[in-house]
Amino acid sequence: MKFIVSSSVLLKQLSAINGVITTNPVLPILENFLFVIENGNLTITASDLQTFMVTELEVEAKENGSVTVPARILLETLKNLPEQPVTFSIDESSYTVEISSDNGRYKLSGESAVDFPKKPPVSDAYNVDMSSEVLGAAINNTIFATSNDELRPAMTGVFVKLDDTNITFVATDGHRLVRYRRVDVSSDSGTSIIIPRKALNLLKSTLPSDNTNVSVEFNLSHAIFRFNTVQIFCRLIDERFPDYENVIPQNNTNHMSINRMELLGSLRRISIYANKTTHQVRLKITGSELQISAEDLDFSNEANERLTCEHNGEDIEIGFNAKFLVEMLNNISSKEIALQLSAPNKAGLIVPAEKDSNEDILMLVMPVMLNNYV
Amino acid sequence: MEGEKKAMRKIIHIDMDAFFASVEQRDNPELRGKPVAVGGNKQRGVVAAASYEARAFGVFSAMPSVTAARKCPDLIFVRPRFEVYKEVSRQIHQIFEEYTDLIEPLSLDEAYLDVTENKKGMPYAKDIALEIKEKIFQKTRLTASAGISYNKFLAKTASDVKKPNGLYIIYPHKAEAFLEQLPVKKFYGIGKVTAEKLNGMGIFTGKDLKSYSREHLHRWFGKSGEFYYRIVRGEDERQVHAHRTRKSIGAERTYAENIETKEAVYEALVPLAQEVSRRTQKSRLKGKTLTLKIKFHDFEIASRSKTFVQAFDDEAGILLGAKELAQQIPRQPFSIRLLGLSLHNLSDEAQEGQLRLELT
Repeated sequence: MKFIVSSSVLLKQLSAINGVITTNPVLPILENFLFVIENGNLTITASDLQTFMVTELEVEAKENGSVTVPARILLETLKNLPEQPVTFSIDESSYTVEISSDNGRYKLSGESAVDFPKKPPVSDAYNVDMSSEVLGAAINNTIFATSNDELRPAMTGVFVKLDDTNITFVATDGHRLVRYRRVDVSSDSGTSIIIPRKALNLLKSTLPSDNTNVSVEFNLSHAIFRFNTVQIFCRLIDERFPDYENVIPQNNTNHMSINRMELLGSLRRISIYANKTTHQVRLKITGSELQISAEDLDFSNEANERLTCEHNGEDIEIGFNAKFLVEMLNNISSKEIALQLSAPNKAGLIVPAEKDSNEDILMLVMPVMLNNYV
Repeated sequence: MEGEKKAMRKIIHIDMDAFFASVEQRDNPELRGKPVAVGGNKQRGVVAAASYEARAFGVFSAMPSVTAARKCPDLIFVRPRFEVYKEVSRQIHQIFEEYTDLIEPLSLDEAYLDVTENKKGMPYAKDIALEIKEKIFQKTRLTASAGISYNKFLAKTASDVKKPNGLYIIYPHKAEAFLEQLPVKKFYGIGKVTAEKLNGMGIFTGKDLKSYSREHLHRWFGKSGEFYYRIVRGEDERQVHAHRTRKSIGAERTYAENIETKEAVYEALVPLAQEVSRRTQKSRLKGKTLTLKIKFHDFEIASRSKTFVQAFDDEAGILLGAKELAQQIPRQPFSIRLLGLSLHNLSDEAQEGQLRLELT
């Protein structure tokens, strides 16, 4: 089997799906790309067993055939070749792959295509379409709040619930929670799934920034995302997602609104002085003034800033992990945000002050108990 | 929230009989019927476990090997094989899991099981305990003792009553009477020293202990006094925690030659700090309190502790703290046979004060 392809075109496709390959895979063959040629069309697959990424491109080929090629060596070779057509000659009995270019010849040993794991069939699937922009925003707004705790697998992914009027994405690690809702996407399937973080990260890095349609097909165990020439298959997390609506407070009556960038800037500076393990900062709201402070007793570091805000409610003093606040504020795009609080030991809410008509973002963060007697 | 209605719980405490020693006797027929000590050797270290034959000579776990060898000159010392014990422990755990998920392991060879609601829907804890004992024997050729009652303290006390290969139930209506006749030194949680102190005060049995008020016990024993007050009345509300959190992480070493200079102490602390740091990081914990344990040539033990403002887990920090504690070794000159380092006051990932959502 033989085919000719532009080195840069192939490199671009391989780079798009290379992220799924792990450094120490369960099966050695998962360090390879699967190449399948059919009628002048090259389909490339990479996988870590949980997730499969597939892409296609046209090549010059006379015959059909398949082989798996070591990913790292191939990528390195293509990266270091000047742009040119390269010829792949594959011996399908010994799985030897020879690449010839103007510069020379490179030989590497592949493995049988038959041994490459098959991607799961997704039957009885629902389908929903959304733009890459919407999906990208949903992922960016939620993925940072997922948990690393393998003991609670449901929380290591993003929960997606489809209704006939909207789509809701939820992520939580038990300390914070994000609910991202869109009314411009809906489905009458009425189902919910949990998408693992890795698949979302891969989507995040491959989704085109221009407005491309993403077709999502899913059943209870798997999901497929298709856009342009790329397909991502992933196994879903088969767990019950915790009852998140119950923990979202309904009557946080202290409302403070403030310029997002000013608050973010202040938190970034103050957190330099916070304890390096707790990242605890203290927010004190009195009248129309927000005072942010932090101290690290071990180094006798302390910092203090005063900001102007608009405040409706009682004076309050509350502690938060600055990292959580910074991450949340970074992901909101509105100019002003509202911080809604009730008590120093109860969840706080951050919501954008101006709302996009299609988008509803709610971020919840649990406080850190302040110890005023240290 | 804790339920208002207090249903009577059914707790089983399973305790393997002379675990390490029994495993060794199982795997090496030559050791059967003979006094065996696991851990230590004739000159150094302590006995980690003793076979029943050895116990007859007065050899017990945690006893210095030298003492053990003196009490029982034919005592055979065997190297511990923790990998094997862990494997057996895993097998036993698997058997427990057939009945309940509420399993709280205390060590490799002991666990509490809450079988109030069990996977097999068996009405009698006694039947469960008998089945578990039988399955353990089938699978591992080792025997276990079981104690059954309505709380952890009584279950644990019960498993000790008919050892080895026994089963004992403390029924709710008989608990108080049982505890009244029990010598205080048999109460779980009352150690040798406390028992002696109690005996010195004329308190020998549960009945004697019960005659003292909460205030008295609190004054004499602090927080533990509260505990004694309640357990002697058969009260123990502690739940069976499936994931028990660790209280401390430590490492210690007995040296082939006693350590007699400060420089040598510093040198010896390096691998200990490394070990403690490695294990603390592996459990993703950090600790605030560092303790240095010193055992002198005459077996007297001293310890020095310091609590730091911030929790830590790094080797450098532990070593620095340990050297500081080593300044306070209470003898000069000294001759040290054992050093130990441990971190206490552990918190996970130092998420201290960080509140969690109550997600269900």
